[in-house]
Amino acid sequence: MLPWIFYLVTLSVVFFIYIILGIGLNIQFGYAGILDFAYIMFMAGGAYIAGVLALGATTANLNQEYILGLTLPFPVPLLAGAVVAGVMGCFVGLVALRRLRSDFLAIVTVAIASIAWDFVGNDNHLFNGWDGLAGVPLPLNDVLNLDPNTYTIVFAAMSGVLATVLWLVANRLYASPLGRTLRGIREDLEVAEAFGKNTFRFRMVAMIIGCVYAGVAGALTIEFVGGLNPQGWTVIETFVVYVAVLMGGRGNNLGAVLGALLVPVIIIEGTRFLPVSLLGSSGLLASSRNVFIGLLLIAVLWFRPQGLLPERKQVLK
Amino acid sequence: LNLLLQSIGFGLVTASILALAAVGVSLQFGVTNYINFAYGDFLTLGAYLAWLAYVPLHLNFFVGSALAILTLGGISMLVARFVMQPFIRRQTPVLFLLIVTFGISLIVSNGLQGVFGANFQTFNLPSQQDIQIGPFVLTGNQLGIIAIAVGVMFAVHMLLTRTKFGKAMRAMSDDRDLARISGVDTERIAIWTWFVSGCLAGLAGIVYAMNVVLFEPFVGQSFLFVIFSAVILGGIGQPYGAMLGALIIGLATEMSAAVINSSYKSTAAFLILIVVLLLRPQGIIPSRPRGTAAWRQA
Repeated sequence: MLPWIFYLVTLSVVFFIYIILGIGLNIQFGYAGILDFAYIMFMAGGAYIAGVLALGATTANLNQEYILGLTLPFPVPLLAGAVVAGVMGCFVGLVALRRLRSDFLAIVTVAIASIAWDFVGNDNHLFNGWDGLAGVPLPLNDVLNLDPNTYTIVFAAMSGVLATVLWLVANRLYASPLGRTLRGIREDLEVAEAFGKNTFRFRMVAMIIGCVYAGVAGALTIEFVGGLNPQGWTVIETFVVYVAVLMGGRGNNLGAVLGALLVPVIIIEGTRFLPVSLLGSSGLLASSRNVFIGLLLIAVLWFRPQGLLPERKQVLK
Repeated sequence: LNLLLQSIGFGLVTASILALAAVGVSLQFGVTNYINFAYGDFLTLGAYLAWLAYVPLHLNFFVGSALAILTLGGISMLVARFVMQPFIRRQTPVLFLLIVTFGISLIVSNGLQGVFGANFQTFNLPSQQDIQIGPFVLTGNQLGIIAIAVGVMFAVHMLLTRTKFGKAMRAMSDDRDLARISGVDTERIAIWTWFVSGCLAGLAGIVYAMNVVLFEPFVGQSFLFVIFSAVILGGIGQPYGAMLGALIIGLATEMSAAVINSSYKSTAAFLILIVVLLLRPQGIIPSRPRGTAAWRQA
């Protein structure tokens, strides 16, 4: 296989993972108006759980230390990662969603994410501290017995199918009575309460579903890349997903897909090919990219707050 | 016990730094009614500006710091005037204003990293003799920090009670619309409040950097939610509550560091934050006129 085709296939996996992340955030932020700044933490939670379930016992990896290590076969770590992320979302929601102001929600989620980040990094026994997990086996690789190139295509196809299924589910959710109520809460929480809706419970449902999506994306990431350390889930990563959803069009899943293509794939993966000599050092490249993401975000909110593909107005006939 | 007493001394130092920062957050929130997530990065920026004046430019430390504080006040004002106010004029929902401030945070912290690199910097202030006061052993710098904080708190009190600007700020945080129809130029007051809050951020950033000795571009971001804990504990939008919250959080974090483990210092602040949000979200001193309404507003 030609190297650039191989690269495109690898990139498509990144694309599918960001689609899942974007749609999950869209359910929380776009459907229900929940400002969850800890979003990437749920992705990391799903990834770590999937990782330690897929990895073998810790005695086999002398240079790493982590909990569990059960060597479970493929779909199990992914599902467990999704479930754990959902449970985490439930706990965070219990604290964060009780208060109605979005400022408080944002503060609490940021605080929880940074505590979790410190904790996972400083605790060497949980997920191997700042070094993180590595060497997570590729799912079904031992069963399929394919050469690496063909395997990557199979993995890309699998994540594509997964992303499509999750996209269809999210669209069904949007059109369902649940989705309608969530949008009602987003537009005016007090009116929704006046109509007798238990807004805490509805927002909690959106929170958990979004976190499950993040967990699936995380599990896919760790199984594809083979590892994860705390540098892979800093606050900036949450921001990348926000920019993608806002730019694509919040409330519209097609927008989330477009955003996933534009922001993480083209801007972030694409700028890796800029010659390093242009900016002096790769560290400078990374920080100027993050400055650019910040500027882009403000520009999107100023020039096109509804996104490139705005949510369609639903007219009652 | 000695260790615990000593940690109270450090707690007072942390509380002083926190009070400077928390009052800035609280004033700005009270007047404008949204939270500035870039505030932690303003602290870092203040520290870097003072470092720039003192280390490479060889200015006198106090002159350099004063310049840094005023520059930061100016930057903060420009951000308010040219970024936040245009969004507010368009009636952008609070949800998006928060994201905008988060974007500013990203720009400032990564901009600093781009310019100064990710390495740790230090003021390299001359080392000082420890001074013993009662049971507390502190350095001269730390005593200076406490003195500065007490002085600034007094100045803020005078500003709020004795000046027209301070009264307008209080009027706006009580009821914005009522203040406007009473002839308060709310936009101008909001911008000048950003100036004051920026100056406080600069000062807090410099003393924070002095106290931790080594600092890097993301130091303010990690300190931000300790500041938020103090602000929310005291009652958001209440400058006096912020002072009280800062004292409690400062003592609690340092004492927990002495009793448990210093790497979980901020966890103590965070646990207090969670408990306060669950039990008394309006804080110790709730916003006066509307009672709990301020935090319930969407």
